[in-house]
Amino acid sequence: MAYKPQYGPGSSIVAENRRKQMDPSKKLEKLRDISDEDVVLLMGHRAPGAAYPTAHPPLAEQQEPDCPVRKLVVPIDGAKAGDRVRFIQFADSMYNAPCHPYQRSYVEAYRYRGCDPGTLSGRQIIECRERDLEKIAKELVGTELFDPARTGIRGSTVHGHSLRLAEDGMMFDMMQRCILDKKANMVKYVKNQNSEPLDKEVKVGKPMDEKWLKAHTTIFHSLVGTSFRSDAEYVEYVQRVHSLRTKYGYVPEE
Amino acid sequence: MTDAIYPQVRIVTVRLLNPETVERVMNLILATEGVRRVILNGPRLPPTITTGPAKGQPNIHEMRRTVKMGEQDVEMQVHVGTILLELENRDVIPAIKAACEAGFGEMQWYLQEGRYMKTEPSLVDYAKYGPYADKAIIGMADPSSKKGPTIIQGIK
Repeated sequence: MAYKPQYGPGSSIVAENRRKQMDPSKKLEKLRDISDEDVVLLMGHRAPGAAYPTAHPPLAEQQEPDCPVRKLVVPIDGAKAGDRVRFIQFADSMYNAPCHPYQRSYVEAYRYRGCDPGTLSGRQIIECRERDLEKIAKELVGTELFDPARTGIRGSTVHGHSLRLAEDGMMFDMMQRCILDKKANMVKYVKNQNSEPLDKEVKVGKPMDEKWLKAHTTIFHSLVGTSFRSDAEYVEYVQRVHSLRTKYGYVPEE
Repeated sequence: MTDAIYPQVRIVTVRLLNPETVERVMNLILATEGVRRVILNGPRLPPTITTGPAKGQPNIHEMRRTVKMGEQDVEMQVHVGTILLELENRDVIPAIKAACEAGFGEMQWYLQEGRYMKTEPSLVDYAKYGPYADKAIIGMADPSSKKGPTIIQGIK
């Protein structure tokens, strides 16, 4: 019988959303259109339209050693062309953000090839060859993994994940990279992820409403969302992992 | 240092406050005439960008604004989330609650009574600021900062 991944335990809507995001056979719902140029502007690694700077010559021009693994693994486009490795980093609010740092790393590891996702307590970074990163970033920003108000694209000074929201519902950002245009109800980035001012504003869409966020979040929150303790299956699973780890630490006889 | 005989309260809101809300609420609170000292707490809003390739450039931020409290201009250096007050006596607490109700409107908030300001300098304070630091503001703000505390005038 073929192995069928389960992705995670739980019977709550949060657990269901986690499984849905992680499962590569399920298509992520597209919510907004972000142009290629806007993605390049948001990340700030190169000027839009500029050629991709390279870190090494294209693989076709290199003398590759005779290696069976290299024959087995097909390189991604950026690796073929010798692109630099670049990053995009996200901070997700605890207040019902659609994705959150640990979940993001799982999602990216399941869905994308040739990338290096990494989680740090309140933020998550994904590193990849530049042209592949742009494709991934476009999907991460354009789909249900992103909410303009509760998710931030932040290269440095990422503080905000565990803080209260501002009065207008935006996550705290020390550098205010994005602002909410109240008239148009539209979030606009005025600085790139490294806090450098942008020549033109980048619109990333309307903030999703509370009802949508509560139905699509992957983070438990007892006050504003689904509480962890309400999901008995999840609690049982975590307790089992904890128990087994602890017992193993004592190296039991049986 | 604060004197232990004066009561203290903490006002916490469900959201971080815009400067205009802070100005409105603080002016109502200060009008009660029973407040000795105030600390506005929250995550810092630096005047310049502190890290990355844009380090040193001015940090344009909507929340870093100058507001008027009493007749005094106060520059907001933090995105206010908590207001700590030291009061003349406990009798003024109902008036402060009424000021919060009027100032915050529909926003949820709560007020707690307790001890929120330092009463004794710690060993770390001594190591950081030395023996001649201004004991009046240790535990409230950085005594080595060139900007001293703001003295609010024109409320009595």
